Amino acid sequence: MTVHSKEPGTVEARALPTSALFARATPADGRVAAEGQSVREAIAFSPVKWLGVSGGLGAAALVAFMVCLGFGTEAISFPQVATLLIQGVVAEGGAQDTTQSIILWQVRVPRVLLAFMVGGSLAAVGASLQALLRNPLADPYVIGISSGAALGAAVAILFGVGLSVFGLSVLPFCAFLGALISLFIVYRIAVAYRSFSVHTLLLGGVVLNAIFSALILFLTSLADPYKASGMYAWLMGSLTGPDFQTVSVLAVYLVLGVSILVAQARSLNLLTLGEEAARSLGVEVERVKRVIFAASALLTGSVVAFSGLIGFVGLIVPHAVRLAFGADHRLLLIASGLVGGTFLMVADTLARTLLSPTEIPVGVVTALVGGPIFLYLLVQQRRRIVS
Amino acid sequence: MIQHRETSNVPPLRLTDVTFGFGRKESAAQSPVLRNVSLTIAAGEVLGILGPNGSGKSTLLKILMRILVPQQGTVEWFGQPPDAFSQSDIARYVAFVPQETQQAFPFTINEMVLMGRYPHHDRTWGLGWEGSHDRAVAMQAMRDLDVAHLGTRLITNVSGGERQRAVVARALTQEPEVLLLDEPTAFLDLHHQLDIARIIRRLNRERGLTVVLVSHDLNLASQYCDRLLLLREGEIVAMGTPEDVIVAASLEPVYGCSVLVDRHPQSGRPRVTLPV
Repeated sequence: MTVHSKEPGTVEARALPTSALFARATPADGRVAAEGQSVREAIAFSPVKWLGVSGGLGAAALVAFMVCLGFGTEAISFPQVATLLIQGVVAEGGAQDTTQSIILWQVRVPRVLLAFMVGGSLAAVGASLQALLRNPLADPYVIGISSGAALGAAVAILFGVGLSVFGLSVLPFCAFLGALISLFIVYRIAVAYRSFSVHTLLLGGVVLNAIFSALILFLTSLADPYKASGMYAWLMGSLTGPDFQTVSVLAVYLVLGVSILVAQARSLNLLTLGEEAARSLGVEVERVKRVIFAASALLTGSVVAFSGLIGFVGLIVPHAVRLAFGADHRLLLIASGLVGGTFLMVADTLARTLLSPTEIPVGVVTALVGGPIFLYLLVQQRRRIVS
Repeated sequence: MIQHRETSNVPPLRLTDVTFGFGRKESAAQSPVLRNVSLTIAAGEVLGILGPNGSGKSTLLKILMRILVPQQGTVEWFGQPPDAFSQSDIARYVAFVPQETQQAFPFTINEMVLMGRYPHHDRTWGLGWEGSHDRAVAMQAMRDLDVAHLGTRLITNVSGGERQRAVVARALTQEPEVLLLDEPTAFLDLHHQLDIARIIRRLNRERGLTVVLVSHDLNLASQYCDRLLLLREGEIVAMGTPEDVIVAASLEPVYGCSVLVDRHPQSGRPRVTLPV
C-alpha cells in the first residue's frame, strides 16, 4: 500500500491539476512577482532560521527548566531559583547550605535535567526513525524498540549479570543490545513490505511489544517480590531520584548519540525520499542506516536503562515541530530535542506535583497525553490514504 | 573522482555483458531480469529504452545509476570501473528521476530541489547549508522546469505534474552530464507530457546533456530520441534509430499485438497506432 501523505486540511489540493493547467495556458504577469518572492524566501531561509528557532527554543527550555525547579513539596519562588542557581555555579564553594539550596541542587536539578535529556533524546530518536522508516507515526515506544531495550535491561537487573565491567555499568549495554535487536527486527518487517506501509510497521510494533512485555513479565514473576515491585515502577517510566553522577554518565551517552544523529541530518532528509532515490542522490545508504541504527539504539537503550518506558514523546514532539518549522532534519532534530526536553520536564513536574505527595509515573502522563494524539493522527493518516 | 570529464569522446556509460537478477544468487541466476546486455551510451545523445512491462527497462536504468549492482558483466562510468567512485561521485555526473516520488513529510519545493546539491557537499562538516552558488543552480533548474513560483509550497500539496517537474529540477540541480528518466511522463496529462519532453530536448541541444529515458509511450520516444533500444524479457532485441526500431516486424513479437506504423505528418518520424 502506498501512502500519499498530505498535510491535514489539504483535501482541496486535489483539485489543483486543472487550475494549474489553466494558469499555465495564460501565463500571468503575477508569475514574475511570484518568482521574485520565491528567491527572497529561498535566501531568507536556513542558517538564519536555524539560529532563530533553536535559540528561541533553547531560551524557552531554560525558562521552563527554572520554572519546573520551583515546583514541588517545598515551593521555591522563581527569583529564589535564579539566585540559588547563579550562586551554585558562580559562587566560591557553591551555594549556601540552606534547606532550599540542598533541595534544589541535590534533588530537583538532577531530576529536571534528567527529564530534559530523556525527553530530548526520545524526540530526536523519534524524528530519525520516522525518516529512516519513512513513517510519520514511528516512535521508539510504539514500534517496540523501547520494550526491546527494557527486556535487555530486565535481564541485566534480574540476573544481575556482573554488574560492572571495567567500571562501566552493564545495564545500559544490555538495554542497548535489546534496542538494537528489536530495531533490526522492526526494520526487517518494514523492508519485507517494500513500500513501508504505515500499518504493517505499527502492527509489527504491537506484536513485538506484546512479545517483549510477556518476556519481561515472565522474568519479573521469577524475581523476589521486592525486586519485582521495583521493576514495575521502573517499567511505568520514572525519573525518580537520580544523583548527579547518574545524570552526568547519561549525559555523555546522550550528547554522543544526538550529535551522531544531527551529523546525519542531510542524509536523513534524502532518506525520506526512499532508499533508491537517496542512493541516486549520492547517499551511502547502507552506511548511513547503520550509523542511525546504532545511534538510535544507543539513545533508546540508555534512556530506557535509566528511566524505563516513557512513550509517545518521540511521536508527538517531532510531529508538532514539523508542522511549526518544516521537515528539514537539520532544524527538526535540534528543535525536536529542545521541545521534547521541555515537554518531559513539564510532564514530570506535573507527575510529581499533581497528586503530591504521591507521584504519578511520568510514563503514565506521557501516554495519557500522547496516546489520544497518536490515535487522532492514525485516523487522519487513514483519511489521507483513502483520499 | 572521475577524471575524464572534459574528454568528450569517452562514452559516459558503458555496459558489457551485464546479467542481473533479484534475490539470492541461485534464483537470480535462474531467472535474470537482464541477460547479457551490452550497451554504450554516447555523450550528447538521447537514448530511449522501450519494451513491455517486466522487460527490465527500469532495472537497466537503476544499474546505470548504481542503485542496483549486476551479478555478472561490467559497468563503466566515463571509462572507469564502478569501484573508482563513491556514490556521490556518480551522483555529480549522473542524475536519476524515478517513476514516482512519494513524500510523507512536508518539505517545500525549494528544500526538495536543493537536495540535488547533496553530492556536491558530501564531505562537508557541520550541517552543510547550501551557499549562494547552490541556490543559484537550484533556482535556474526551477525556472527551466517552471516550478520557481511554487518554491515555498509543500511537496505534499502540489499536483502530480508539479511534483514530477520539481523532481526533474532536483535532478538538474545535481548538474549532471547524464540524466536518467524512468517514465518521466507516466503520470502527466498531455500538456505536461509535451512540456517535459520539450524541456529535456532543449537541455540536450543547448547544454549537451546526455539523456536516457524509459518510456511506454512509443510515439513520444520516436519523436524525441536519437536512438532507441527495445527490450524483451531482459534481452536487447533491437537497437538503432527510431526508423530502424519502430517497425511492425520488431514491435509485434515484443508486444504481442499487431500495430500500424506510419509517419508523423510534421516530423516524418515513425508513428505507431493500433489497428481497429
